[in-house]
This record gives sequence, C-alpha cells and structure tokens, in this order.
Amino acid sequence: MKTAVRTTNLWKIYPQEPDPVEAVRDISIKIETGDFVAMAGPSGSGKTTMLNMIGGLTRPSQGQISIGDQEITEMSDKDLAQLRLERIGFVFQSYNLLPVLTALENAEFTLLLSGIPKDERRKRVLELFNKIGLSGLEDRKPGKLSGGQQQRVAVARAVVANPALILADEPTANLDSKASADLLDVMERLNQDHGTTFLFSTHDPRVMERSRRLITLVDGQIESDERRNHLSVSS
Amino acid sequence: MRLMVLLKLAMRSVGRNVRRSILTSLAMVLGLALLVFSRSLAEGAYDEMIDSGVRMGSGHIAIQNPEYLTSRKLEHRLEEEVVNLASEMTQDVLKESLVTWVPRLAVDGLASSTAAAVPVRIEGVDPDRERTFSNIEGQLQDGRYLEVGDRLHAYIGTELAQRLDVQVGNRFVLTAQTATGDVEGQLVRVAGIFQMGIPEVDQSLIHIPIDTAREWLHTPGAASTLAFLLKGAELTDIGVETLQLKLENERKIRVLGWQESSPELAAAIRLDSTGNYIFHSILLAIIALAILNAVMISVLGRRREFGVLQAMGLTGVETGFVVFLEGLFLTFTSGVAGISAGLLFTWGLFRDGLDFSIFMEDGLEFGGQIMEPIIIPRFSVEQILISTLVILSIGTISSLYPALRASKLDVAEAMKFEQ
Repeated sequence: MKTAVRTTNLWKIYPQEPDPVEAVRDISIKIETGDFVAMAGPSGSGKTTMLNMIGGLTRPSQGQISIGDQEITEMSDKDLAQLRLERIGFVFQSYNLLPVLTALENAEFTLLLSGIPKDERRKRVLELFNKIGLSGLEDRKPGKLSGGQQQRVAVARAVVANPALILADEPTANLDSKASADLLDVMERLNQDHGTTFLFSTHDPRVMERSRRLITLVDGQIESDERRNHLSVSS
Repeated sequence: MRLMVLLKLAMRSVGRNVRRSILTSLAMVLGLALLVFSRSLAEGAYDEMIDSGVRMGSGHIAIQNPEYLTSRKLEHRLEEEVVNLASEMTQDVLKESLVTWVPRLAVDGLASSTAAAVPVRIEGVDPDRERTFSNIEGQLQDGRYLEVGDRLHAYIGTELAQRLDVQVGNRFVLTAQTATGDVEGQLVRVAGIFQMGIPEVDQSLIHIPIDTAREWLHTPGAASTLAFLLKGAELTDIGVETLQLKLENERKIRVLGWQESSPELAAAIRLDSTGNYIFHSILLAIIALAILNAVMISVLGRRREFGVLQAMGLTGVETGFVVFLEGLFLTFTSGVAGISAGLLFTWGLFRDGLDFSIFMEDGLEFGGQIMEPIIIPRFSVEQILISTLVILSIGTISSLYPALRASKLDVAEAMKFEQ
C-alpha cells in the first residue's frame, strides 16, 4: 500500500512568553493511501496543528512531512499553495465557504484556480452535488444554506478536484446528529468510490466510530494508534 | 484565467458589503465632488482675474521698450516707427488669436485744481479701441467715457474727483515732464468719473485721448505700451514665444506676457493657487485615509476568508492582489461617481456663474485687480484627467498596505479568527 502522508519526528513549538508552547512533540506517523483516519484528543492536544502542518498551512519547528513522495517541509510558499491546490482538500469546522460565491461557485473554486474549462467544471460539480444531495441548491449563497448543507458544499469543494488527501478539521462539530451522520456517509462514500485518503481531527465519537484508524493525541504526543476493522456507510 | 478569478472575487466582495462600500464611496464621492467644484470655481476665478487684470493692465501680451517695465518713464517709450512696425507685425503673427489691441502712452504727473494738487498716472488712450479692450467704461459713475473727437477731456476716478473737488464739466490742469525735458501743463475738462473699487486706481488714474497726450508730451505717434488681448490666457505663452522670435532683431522692443507685465496679479494667483493645492491635498489625504480605512477594516474582518483562499491554493501574493483590486475598484467607481457628481453639480447649478456679491458689497480686490462678483466655473479636460489620475494613484497607494497585510497573513492563525 502506498503512503499518503508521512511525518517524521515532527515538532511544533510556539515561541511564547514566559514558556514556549510545545503543541506537537516528536510525532511520527504514516497514513496509507485510501485510509479513513481520525485523530482524536482533547482541546490543545495538537490535532489541528498536525493538520495545519500536514496541509502546509503551518511550518513545523522540526521534523519532516511528506505528501505522497513529496517532501514538503522545505517547499516555498508558492509551491505549497500549488500542492494544496492539486493534492490536498480542506474541510473546516466552520465550513468557511466564501460568502461572495454561490454553492456551485464555491465547490468549483479549486477547479477554477486549476484552469479547468467551465463546462467540465460544471459537469463535475453537478455530478458531485447530485451524489451528495445538494442538487437544486447550486445558486444559493452560503448564508441561505443550513449548516449541514454548507458543510456538504465544503466537502464538495474539497473533493471535486480529486485530491489525494482530504484534511478535515472537526467537520461535524457544528452539525446535529442527523447532519453529522449524513456528512460522514458522504465522506465514506467518496473515500470508497475515489480512494481518497481522509484525515480528520475530531472530538466527535461518531467520527471516531466510523474511522478505520484512530490516533489519539494528548499533550502533543501520540497516546494511542489503533486500527479499527469496520466501515459502515448508511444506506 | 486566475486574474479573472481574482477580479471576480474582488468585485463580488465590494458588492457584498454594500453598506460599507457605499459609506466609503460616499466619503470619496463627496470629497471629489467638492474638489471638482472648488477647482472649477478657482479656475473660473483665475480666468476672471486674468481677464480683468489684462484688460486694465497691459493685455495678455504687451510690447514695450525694454527699459519701460522698471522705469515707467516717458523717455522709455516706443517711437512712432517702432509702434507701426510692432503693431503690424504682432497683428500678423497673432492673427486668429487676437481679439483687439490698444496703444497707450502713459506718464506720471500732477493733477491740480483750485482745491488740491494730486500725483496721478496719466494714460493717453484711443477711446474707440479702449472701450473694446478695458472694462473701465463699465465702471462709469457720472458723465461719459472718452469719445473719438474728444481733445481736452479726461476720465477720472471718484476719489481723485473728490480730492480735486471737481465734477463732470469742471476743468483742472495736468502737469508732467514732456519728451523735451520741460515741465508743461495741459488743461482738461472732466468728461466722466469712474469707480473701480481699487483705491490706488480711483485716486490716481486718468484717461485722456492719446492724440492729446502725444501733442502735449511732444511724442508724435509714440506709445508706452502696445497691449494685445487674446482669445484666452492659455494662448499667451505661445504668442510671446513666436513674437520674441519674430522681433529678436528689434533692440528697442520687448515682448512680455501678462505674468511679466502684471507681476502682482501673477504672484497673487500663484499664492492663491498654492493655497488651493494645499486645501486639495488635505481633501485628497482625507479621501486616501477613507480608502485605507475601508480596505483595512475589510482585511482585518476577513482574515479567515483570506486564510481559506490560501488553503484552497491561492498564494499570499494573489490574496493580497484580491485586496488590492478591491481598493482599486472602490476607488475607480467612487472616483468616476465623484468627478461626475462634481461636474453635474457645478454645471447644473452654477453654469451661469456663482454670485458672490453678498460677500463683496464693497468690491473684492485681488492682486491689484477688482474681481467681478459673479464667477463662472471653468472645467478643463486637463483638470479632470489630472484629478482622475491623482485619485487612481491615491487608491493604488492606499490599497497597497492592506494588500501587503493580506499577503503576509499567517493562514493557520487566520483560520482561528472569528468572523
């Protein structure tokens, strides 16, 4: 099995007075392509920092990160931006859709940046919307969508360009049970259909339950790393 | 392709925050409208001052003896043959730009009546030409202006009439040193009395027929100044240059533009113009701050949004460029609206002139000239182009800092930001 993400002796230290904060301490993990991994732990355990470093949004203080076979720690900001555009999708806790764009425009944003022609963009987004239950909502601005719908648009935006890796930071934190379950169904289906690797940070037991691998962080270190042998997409 | 995406984002963002955009635009629109209005009014006022100044003074272009400007003496006059040569050549050179011209023969002297003796400036003028050139006839208080055929008539100011205690029809004596070196007197009769509103003029200027002056002063065909009135002040420089080239071999002739022959007026306009530029610079600085403030608030309030853009694959520079475009777009639309509003307001309400007579009951003197109370604003394409360029430059400069801030955003930190 190919490696989607590898971190080696990863540290993140925030130079804060009076004492520097060690948000991530010497974490080495390897995530395989097509895996569905949850990173759990209490607030301040380093989950989001890990995702930010893997996504190239924050540079590590020490250690290496590889996405696929690409070492990213020494990359320039411009190359990191290109890497994010081509190979990584993000789903955030607060959806973070661009308020000035419609649902369809939000979803096709990365395709637009990649220079995909309009017809192709629309075709891919509409197919995806159909698959994840967003048909008919294409022209709505984010403010006119429910939380669950917004998060599904965010997922569509993250996966539409077929990235190798989706990083999802507490994706269900603002959703009710039903919306959370629906969202997880969508993500599991995308994981199965496209072989996209998913890495979540979460507090949510429902997400942990549905993951195939659960890494638990405490105080910036791995406390446990267990593989779970089930996959349950609701029908 | 990406540029279009960035442009779309910027325009949508301006459109999204309608209230903020309108409030920012309003400050700019009002500021610019005020700028256009005050600039047009100032240009109109300068036109009025120059027009009034050159008509009372030595025209847009004056031809004099090279020494006359500093000495103001009769001995530094243009003799008859020079007057004929210069007037013909100048009319030939200026052609279409020329409205009219006058010869004037001036001398300092003394006006004496039974009541007093007052130092005066006596100008011999061609009445017919003078009434098409200067506006002195329009300031008539009593009697009439000089006419062709008048010989021993004088047109004097109100204050001089008071000091000499003379009225229309009364006689008094002018005394001056003539070209022969002798001091000779000339009896004249008051034909009319004027009031310019400028004390120095009202108490010292006397117009008499030029033929009378030439005969009295023993200067046949001579003139102190040949004054030429052009269709517009902007034609002065090119006219002066052409004439100077044409007359460069004539040692007894000097060609002067109005700025040189009326240095007080030119200095007053320069001074006023500097004041205006300072005022306009303050206005522009306020506009710049309004743009900076609006774009900066927008940047600070949208850190998470910019973080998302970068997470999606935009570079820091591209994110900054979106902000820059927003500022530029806001500036451009407000700039066009402000300049249009200023032009429409000024043209719509004041195209026939703005009446300042309520503030000028006793007349307003400026740079040694009396200003008309009604000022007609003047628009110039150059002024509008400059204003547009200045506004665009200000918008560009004011948007740079917020753009830089957006481009240097710490994405991970920005994602924590609560919108």
